[in-house]
Amino acid sequence: VTLLSLCFILVSLLSFVTAQLILKRAMQPTVTSGFRDPSFISRMTIGIALMTISFFLTLGLLQRFDLSYLYPFQGLSVIIITLLAAVTLKEKLTAQLVIGGALISAGIVLVSLS
Amino acid sequence: MRERPSGFANPWLQLVLSIVCVLVSELLLKRGASNTADPADGWAWTGINSLASPLVWWAIILIIISFISWLYVLKYIPLTVAFPLSRVVDILVPLSCWIFLGESISTRRWCGIVLVVIGLALVAKPIARIEQRL
Repeated sequence: VTLLSLCFILVSLLSFVTAQLILKRAMQPTVTSGFRDPSFISRMTIGIALMTISFFLTLGLLQRFDLSYLYPFQGLSVIIITLLAAVTLKEKLTAQLVIGGALISAGIVLVSLS
Repeated sequence: MRERPSGFANPWLQLVLSIVCVLVSELLLKRGASNTADPADGWAWTGINSLASPLVWWAIILIIISFISWLYVLKYIPLTVAFPLSRVVDILVPLSCWIFLGESISTRRWCGIVLVVIGLALVAKPIARIEQRL
């Protein structure tokens, strides 16, 4: 594993996490005001762009590494997204959600290490 | 929680649809990417040459469907709940390999699956209570 591929893994993970947060932010106002919110298009575009970057980076990484090596990193996205959604989107966070998210992340890491 | 549409428009049903599409697309992507792996290609790190595989294109179609229903899910369900639940796919993949392909699951992997199930139950439990009250 080179430093470069670790960078790719991190960039892929970060862009995926950020994309989810931005997409959620884009969809939130559509419940009440439909798609007329002026920032909807820009948020959706940034979110989709980040998803695309993460998608192709993951494909490239899959060609070089086993899924069992790459997947533990994706597993971490659960607890990261849970915490960041509470911080950036002001979603209500309970101890139960944090413990649940941490267990899911830990479980995914265990499942995918082999 | 806000009032939500029912039937096919039910966000929980859409969450399930999104999960199933992701499950199938993951399997297609791994196979497609492996089929087209070419370490000699200087652009291989971008993954772009995987587009030569039709399996990757089927996976992309499924990803688009799952993406649309995921956006719909995001409209109604908090990310702190929807995202952890969506990762049920990470235990469905090894479980479906075990059930349908007769692959074996190591002890460590079973431990991981149990942890994920407990975590999912913790995340889902308060929702079940809220839904019941409605």
